[in-house]
Amino acid sequence: MTQTSVEDDRELLARAQGGDMSAFEALVGRHEEKVYGLALRMTRSEADAAEITQDTFLSAYQHLGEFRGEAAFGSWVHRIAANNALMRLRRQRVLDIVSDDDLAGPEFTDRGSLADVPESDWSQRADDQLLHEELGRAIREATDALPEGYREVFLLKDVEGLSYEEISEMVGISIPAVKSRLHRARLALREAIDAFYKEV
Amino acid sequence: MFNCKESIDSLLPFLEGEMSPEDEEHLREHLSGCPPCVEFVNTYRATSGMCRKALVKSMPPEVAGRLRAYLRGKLETK
Repeated sequence: MTQTSVEDDRELLARAQGGDMSAFEALVGRHEEKVYGLALRMTRSEADAAEITQDTFLSAYQHLGEFRGEAAFGSWVHRIAANNALMRLRRQRVLDIVSDDDLAGPEFTDRGSLADVPESDWSQRADDQLLHEELGRAIREATDALPEGYREVFLLKDVEGLSYEEISEMVGISIPAVKSRLHRARLALREAIDAFYKEV
Repeated sequence: MFNCKESIDSLLPFLEGEMSPEDEEHLREHLSGCPPCVEFVNTYRATSGMCRKALVKSMPPEVAGRLRAYLRGKLETK
């Protein structure tokens, strides 16, 4: 979000805090896509994502008076949405205990050298405007296959852009544990992309 | 000097600039003589952006419509 957009949000927020419903609706319109996207990625359910989006904006409205504007409105509702999504996942969660060893990642020889040389340096393709459709599907499948505790940390950090401190507080694990899960998730997803390029 | 495993294990602090100068030197020394690890670093770094693109989801218009109706209903009764 640009500086101008943040300033526009501040103006709308001030009006909404004064009871202007149309200003609040305008704020909803500016942030609903991002909130819904987060909720859908986290829960993988369109029905849950729609409910989380509703609950998030209702909760934001109910707490408008407490919002002092130290953070951007968008970051604030994003955090509310992430918390709502995590709470819903916690309620639905089947006990999901995995060790790091269950995750895909690079293999090493006894001397600690890479056992398998990467397929090619496909990093340049990250700048392509459009991802290959099948690569997109492979990435979504690999993300879905991550153990829940790793998937949520990866999504919150690398896709939603939350800070380590925020994630640590929301997920209830230490910052080093957040970083460890993030690294393992990235390694597993990197493997999935590498495997895709090996096949095409 | 690090080996490949130690280098890959330390990628996150390396990319976030949180490594000790000594460890960073060990890693850079390894990378200067290990092209597969350089490719690994490049692809590791690119992974997040590719995933972000693959995971973009847009909100169907009917969901946006239901959201507005829901919020109006809730807020008007307050």
